[in-house]
Amino acid sequence: MPCSSNRTMCSRGSERYRITTESLTNGFNVNKSSGYTYIGKPRKSIEGGRKVTGSEPYTSDLAIAGMHHARPVLSPYAHAGIGAVDKSEALAVPGVTHVLTAADLLTRDAVIKSRNTCTLAGDRVIFTGQPVAVVIARSAEAAETGAELVHIEYDVRPVAANFMTASGPDAPEIWPDGLPGDQSIADGHATVDEKAATKEVEKPKNVHHIHRHERGDVEKALAAADVVVRRNYRTARVHQGYLEPMVSIAVPDPMSSGVTIYLPCQTPVWTRDAIAELLGFEKRQVRLVSMTVGGGFGSKNGILDPLVAACALATGRPVSMVLTRTEDFLTTTPSAGGGWDIEIGAAKSGAITALRADIRSDAGAFASGLGSLLALLTGSYYKFPNLLVEVAEVNTNTPHCGPYRAPGAPQAAFALESTIDDLARELQIDPLEFRLQNCVETGDLTVSDSPWSSVGLKTCLERLREHPAWRDRNCAANEGVGIAIAIWPGGACPSSTVCRVSGDGVVTVHIGSPDISGTHSGLVLVAAETLTVSPDQVEIVTGDSDTNPHSVDAAGSMVTYSLTGAVLEAATGVKTKLLEAAAEKLEAHVDDLLLENGAVHVNGVPDRRLTIAELAAEAETNAGGPGPIMADGRAAVPINAPAATVQLVKVHVDRQTGEVTPLHMVAVQDVGKALNPLMIEGQMHGGAVQGLGFALHERMVYDDDGQLISASFLDYDLPKAHQVPTIETVIIETPSPEGALGVRGVGEPPIIPGAAAVGNAIRDATGVRINELPMRPEVVWRAIEKDHGTHS
Amino acid sequence: MVPTAFDYQRASSVGEAVTLLAESGGNAKILAGGHSLIPTLKLRLARPATLIDIGRVDELKGISEDGDTIVIGALATHDEVATSDVVQAKAPNVAAAAAAIGDLQVRNCGTIGGALVHADPASDYPAAILTDEAEMVVQGPGGSRTVSAADFFVDIFATAVQEDELLTAVRVSARAAGTGSAYLKFPNPASGYAVVGCAANVTMDGGKCASAKVAFNGVANVAFRDAGVEDAITGTGADAAAIAAAAECAGNGQECMSDTFASAEFRAHLAKVYAGRALAAAVADAS
Ligand SMILES: Cc1cc2nc3c(=O)[nH]c(=O)nc-3n(C[C@H](O)[C@H](O)[C@H](O)COP(=O)(O)OP(=O)(O)OC[C@H]3O[C@@H](n4cnc5c(N)ncnc54)[C@H](O)[C@@H]3O)c2cc1C
Repeated sequence: MPCSSNRTMCSRGSERYRITTESLTNGFNVNKSSGYTYIGKPRKSIEGGRKVTGSEPYTSDLAIAGMHHARPVLSPYAHAGIGAVDKSEALAVPGVTHVLTAADLLTRDAVIKSRNTCTLAGDRVIFTGQPVAVVIARSAEAAETGAELVHIEYDVRPVAANFMTASGPDAPEIWPDGLPGDQSIADGHATVDEKAATKEVEKPKNVHHIHRHERGDVEKALAAADVVVRRNYRTARVHQGYLEPMVSIAVPDPMSSGVTIYLPCQTPVWTRDAIAELLGFEKRQVRLVSMTVGGGFGSKNGILDPLVAACALATGRPVSMVLTRTEDFLTTTPSAGGGWDIEIGAAKSGAITALRADIRSDAGAFASGLGSLLALLTGSYYKFPNLLVEVAEVNTNTPHCGPYRAPGAPQAAFALESTIDDLARELQIDPLEFRLQNCVETGDLTVSDSPWSSVGLKTCLERLREHPAWRDRNCAANEGVGIAIAIWPGGACPSSTVCRVSGDGVVTVHIGSPDISGTHSGLVLVAAETLTVSPDQVEIVTGDSDTNPHSVDAAGSMVTYSLTGAVLEAATGVKTKLLEAAAEKLEAHVDDLLLENGAVHVNGVPDRRLTIAELAAEAETNAGGPGPIMADGRAAVPINAPAATVQLVKVHVDRQTGEVTPLHMVAVQDVGKALNPLMIEGQMHGGAVQGLGFALHERMVYDDDGQLISASFLDYDLPKAHQVPTIETVIIETPSPEGALGVRGVGEPPIIPGAAAVGNAIRDATGVRINELPMRPEVVWRAIEKDHGTHS
Repeated sequence: MVPTAFDYQRASSVGEAVTLLAESGGNAKILAGGHSLIPTLKLRLARPATLIDIGRVDELKGISEDGDTIVIGALATHDEVATSDVVQAKAPNVAAAAAAIGDLQVRNCGTIGGALVHADPASDYPAAILTDEAEMVVQGPGGSRTVSAADFFVDIFATAVQEDELLTAVRVSARAAGTGSAYLKFPNPASGYAVVGCAANVTMDGGKCASAKVAFNGVANVAFRDAGVEDAITGTGADAAAIAAAAECAGNGQECMSDTFASAEFRAHLAKVYAGRALAAAVADAS
């Protein structure tokens, strides 16, 4: 085995300390009068140099002694019974050692209730791409050849592929005996208060859950409204589109009679627990070594790993599985498409009076868990005195939909913010002023009648109002400017860290949360600031579930918000211990000591000083002394800190071809307190681009038989560098009253408003409202043609 | 994503390559730049027993002039074609098509011979090959023959080059005096291949369009010359109105392809838009 954990590899890569990370202080629109040395100053990411030079190890770079290669055999049918499986030809391929089916795995009796729990299908498959068998071989070539030669008899059944028609009379019932309940991981992304939810409603076929929220009298309010806008929207199913396909390496562990799994994982706690439960193990028998995540965006939460672990345990061998891009499209958990029938009323004064929304969400083959979020995201950005929001979660014979950065939010914002824009037009009110007039503030109600905690949406809107891209907007022919708002509710999770100083002066912070977004490069600044050392002197240790202090999973924009207090407390604890140790050595009272530039000195006597390295070295060797320098830190923030954003997009529309070209983008976001503005800017850029993906590019297409017909990047259109405009970022800091240092979540908000803003910009440019995502050329062309038809 | 096992042979001359092809009994594939073949192998859509690498056959390389004819070796890379002064000056549509292919990495490795023989209907060369009335030189066991552009593209992924033959060169006549050219492409935003690519050569004489050649790739299974557009523009003053009228004829009688990005109806519409734009650009280039 080349390394026993991620930690060994990180410390082996000692070049980390030699990567120059000069601060870049230009061009950042953040509060400069903070008095901090490191916090709030842009600083390159810890692992950036290794990533740029290609030396960062990813899971598929690992070669473990005796490692075998696994190839999944995926169902070619969306709905079928499984008959005989003939393994003989595959087993005859030189190098193939095993062909495994459901009955061969430890998971054979587990209830299949979500994508995370479906290792291999036993008696039936319910989506194309569902794994049915696995071929294990000594080489990747042999495994692939073997997989071609596994012969499976299928009894093909009728398919419900489309969530809009899955309740119709012709559709087969996917779960005739009811759906085995499962709390999908999408719920983990945000705190949703459902106390006022869900009256029991009769559920149509293939609808497994209906969420209903009601306030006031919508019928009456809509009837009395001066203006009502009603629209229908459809949004496409999209894929997270991470660069690194799903990969997992599992090694049977004789020490624990369990298994060690090397994987890119953003949710090590949730995933370890889920795998242990599925395998019937104690949690401690499952050890996860979280490798660098090559893009996850919600998806890298243990989809492949239970299967690979079960294969390793069934064969007694280390087993590696790396999906191809097409397999990844077929068998992982994309983001749900949805349908919105939405109606909003307002008085002439501009006051919104009512919202009615009827939402259908495509759950795929299992329970969605997205419904409550969709209701929240559709019905909580504005003050709606009357509302009726209903979300139906629909099962289809397609892959289980899962979390994708701000699950459901870009889609909901598209429906809501397109309608709001049209309403402003009908009322002849400036769309930004209309939003300012009606948007929620701290204490206003969410869809479920619980009050928003501190939210800085208004400040974002006011800031954009002053921005030249809005204030001085002027458009040539076929150009238009659109804006849209969003709030990501966020969440928090009790978290702990350990901070220590070793005899070489290196400050180590142990963090259980994986870094998928630059969080570690922000948190090091908190430790560096507290201990007055260069951030280059601070190392983060992470990745091993056996040694990680319990910490929030990397989901829901929760990491920095949940952890900052813990890091601060641990670093402060270390500082106290350093001062105590120095007091003894320097024979001074603690109150007379100062920690500055990584050394403790007696106030007014700069020569009487000891560096933290000296203090730590002394503490490590001094029998009878206070003991080595380390401290823990804990935080359990009680409530979430919502994060607001407003985006502006300017587009050009080619009326003949329907091509929409984004020309410029401005992203304004309330981050509470920017720990590392460079990382935040990166998050805003990346999120904005993924928002453009929703807007103009991305769409998974299934035919009526549930076959995916956009199963590679030849057809699935991710936005590419040359299709992306300049994105200006404006960071707003409205400190969160809860948590430490005022920070809020950052990762998810920037993906949300882009699609809606592009739609509003197209409307501005052409007079045509596009009601479908993505707004690809054919869709825009047809809408313009239709509009032309109605006017001429 | 792992090809099935194959033998590898390297040819050092055209003659040797043809001999190796004959010996393989139809179970070999020529390897040029590998930019279409390797993906096909990795997806196991092709499982040849042998690859015959022609990458080091010098006689297939380079771009030269033979009187009024430009001779482009089958191994000329897209980048060499795109940046060649001679091709740019005398057969600008071929240069523009090459420049429109993929990205620089692809253009540095992919070859004109490989692209033409692969005959992806959404690839960029075919329209230009048709408007520039190129001749393809093909060598087989029985010697060398030439195939006209009109006869070259047979079907989707199929050309007049037989399994035991090698494409050795593309011969393009320099465009006539007074001719303006354009190749315009609506790229698929995902793959970069042509949803519609339209090449036009318009020869102006005394303010009138004396002759026009207009061809499409991306629209139908096989690239085609569009006689409807050519006839409609020829003899007119090629002003905006004449161009618009001619563009309306584009794609008539063709069965347009349909995929997840563009329906047949949308492709047919785009063909008209691109016919108009390519004609306008060619006319502007002529003056
Ligand atoms: C990322 C990417 C993007 C691309 N984008 C585009 C694009 O926008 N537009 C476009 O037109 N193309 C595009 N291509 C395809 C590109 O043009 C390929 O290079 C070309 O299609 C194949 O040329 P090659 O030299 O690589 O041939 P190879 O891949 O080596 O061969 C292709 C086929 O031709 C045969 N062959 C090759 N040379 C000869 C010969 N001299 N005689 C007989 N048979 C021969 C081979 O046996 C094989 O069947 C793209 C490719 C990639 C990988």
